[in-house]
Amino acid sequence: MLTDSQPSIDIPVPQKTIIKLEHIYKIYGAGDAEVIALDNVNLEINQGEYCAIMGASGSGKSTVMNMIGCLDRPSSGQYYLDGEDVANLSEAALAKTRNLKIGFVFQQYHLLSQLSAIENVMLPMVYAGIKGNERVDRAADALKRVGMGHRLKNKPNEMSGGQQQRVAIARAIVNQPVLLLADEPTGALDSHTTREVIDLFTELNQGGITVVIVTHELDVGRATRRIVWFRDGQVIHNNLSPQDLSLVAAS
Amino acid sequence: MDIVESLKMAGKTITANKLRSGLTMLGIIIGNASVIAMVGVGQGAKIYAESQFQSLGTNVLFILPGTDNARRNTIAPPNRLILADAEAIATQVPSVDKVAPQLNGSELATYRNNAKRASLIGTTPEYSPVRNADVKQGRFITADDVKRNARVVTLGSSISKDLFGNGEAIGQQIRIRNISFEVIGIMDEKGAFLGANQDDTVFMPFSTMTSRIIGRTSPYGVAVQVITLSAKDNTNVETAKFQITNLLRLRHRNTSSASDEVTFTVRTQKDALEIVGNITNALTLLLAAIAAISLVVGGIGIMNIMLVSVTERTSEIGLRKAVGASQSDILTQFLIEAVILSVAGGLIGTGVGVSGILIVGTFTPLKAGVSMGAITLAVGVSGAIGLFFGVVPAKQAAKLDPIVALRSA
Ligand SMILES: Nc1ncnc2c1ncn2[C@@H]1O[C@H](COP(=O)(O)OP(=O)(O)OP(=O)(O)O)[C@@H](O)[C@H]1O
Ligand SMILES: [Mg+2]
Repeated sequence: MLTDSQPSIDIPVPQKTIIKLEHIYKIYGAGDAEVIALDNVNLEINQGEYCAIMGASGSGKSTVMNMIGCLDRPSSGQYYLDGEDVANLSEAALAKTRNLKIGFVFQQYHLLSQLSAIENVMLPMVYAGIKGNERVDRAADALKRVGMGHRLKNKPNEMSGGQQQRVAIARAIVNQPVLLLADEPTGALDSHTTREVIDLFTELNQGGITVVIVTHELDVGRATRRIVWFRDGQVIHNNLSPQDLSLVAAS
Repeated sequence: MDIVESLKMAGKTITANKLRSGLTMLGIIIGNASVIAMVGVGQGAKIYAESQFQSLGTNVLFILPGTDNARRNTIAPPNRLILADAEAIATQVPSVDKVAPQLNGSELATYRNNAKRASLIGTTPEYSPVRNADVKQGRFITADDVKRNARVVTLGSSISKDLFGNGEAIGQQIRIRNISFEVIGIMDEKGAFLGANQDDTVFMPFSTMTSRIIGRTSPYGVAVQVITLSAKDNTNVETAKFQITNLLRLRHRNTSSASDEVTFTVRTQKDALEIVGNITNALTLLLAAIAAISLVVGGIGIMNIMLVSVTERTSEIGLRKAVGASQSDILTQFLIEAVILSVAGGLIGTGVGVSGILIVGTFTPLKAGVSMGAITLAVGVSGAIGLFFGVVPAKQAAKLDPIVALRSA
């Protein structure tokens, strides 16, 4: 079991397990072409944690992230999300889980170009069946929360990269998910904007939401409170503190 | 996700890329326009043909030699419908008013240096009232002309103009087969009747035509090609048909009523209308079928462009799935897009087709009806086609793996 070495100052020590991966394997191809992307991964993340997944390129970070986000199914192993066994859910049930429990942020923002900022943020609520004023109000609130309250009607191509990523974060949190997942969210941003976006994640985490970020940037990793280190599809360090990050990264 | 949301979403996508939407609809627009226009023209043809028969009057009957089947055979049996039959009908059938036997031919008519091929009709004075063929100048053939085998002709208005220009025709001699005929009258302009133009016709006494032009063609007597007659009053047409049929059976010694032994056919105006109706309906159907093919091609066009658009929009589909769209949500979205595009195409195509009909109507005698039924059908069929051809691309979109789709950006 992991031990939380971080002294919690602002929130009570969370005990509820949000993510529980048991003996997860993900194998692509077969025979000579076989790639073991995830090799017996065991990982638990508790509610309210602020966690980074790091490791070399090709070590399986995105693969495990997709698994956690219910976009992908493991070749074998068990995955409990918020206490529910999701490895065996139907396609429609997985879609619902992604809709209500998970918020995704991507490196490429993935905003729909024909929609305005607020319409992009409303999208998860469209699939959740939330309508009318409630939908508009909640989308506007989410955009205000990420500092984009003044750009509701702008299309993605009228916004900077950092602004687009903020809108994408607003979209990820608008359905009040238990889990916010981000795969290289700052990969396309300069260092100044990276700082702003990471501060936003920190703020959201302090508001109570569990945040997991895949990154290869040490600065981003240091902003979190726990680092999971991957190598060749395996978890090498389950609970690295940000202070020890430089040592591991150098090795 | 409910249907209203899906409609709104599809509407956004369609309006966001107007050029692509327009191209997608193009096939359906063309298909629909041609269905509407073709059916309209077909119905116009029907209305036109029917109006021509209606102008005959409801109390008119036609007797033709042989049967429809016999007339279709290459080796025709000898014609048993003879002049004596016409005379018998006139004297023995009480419900019949006037009887006009008729012989048709086509000959070169000449006056001095002018020559013109004319259709020739040999008949009796009754032809004029029965067929509503009035004389403009001079007179029509009289009973006396028929009795005397007189070498006289009444000319259709345009043949008269062709031969005499603006000069005086009445009293002049024209030549047919090197026999001179005196012009005794000129007919009113009447226009074409199902391809035959009375204005190009030369009328002469029945007896003159048999003795001088055609000669004896049947072993049974003086053969007749058509007998046109009028019943005494409109309600009696079916009675007249019945009585005529009985009389002719007796005269032709047809004991059996089996149609292949019958040597004549009696048609009322209603029968003729039915036949014309059948022919023009078949024509309409044929035109509609041709047009329907283009509708199907339009559907395939929708499928093609939507398949391309699914490939183009993989990252959008991946994102939608990541934020909670299920396969059925994506399927519905693409199907609705296909249906909206095809129904909109159908409506635009209908507009084009209706304009086409109106244009045809102003420049030709085909006053085509814009049929509400055809419009509903065409737009409905377009929608169905959109649904049908939308299934393949929509399924492809729904099945996309979100991870692959998201990576493709
Ligand atoms: N669809 C696939 N088919 C085959 N192999 C795959 C597939 N997806 C990932 N892999 C392999 O799985 C391994 C892990 O890939 P993954 O994308 O998780 O790496 P990563 O840690 O996210 O790398 P990066 O930092 O470059 O994003 C790699 O070796 C990759 O080639
Ligand atoms: Mg990756």
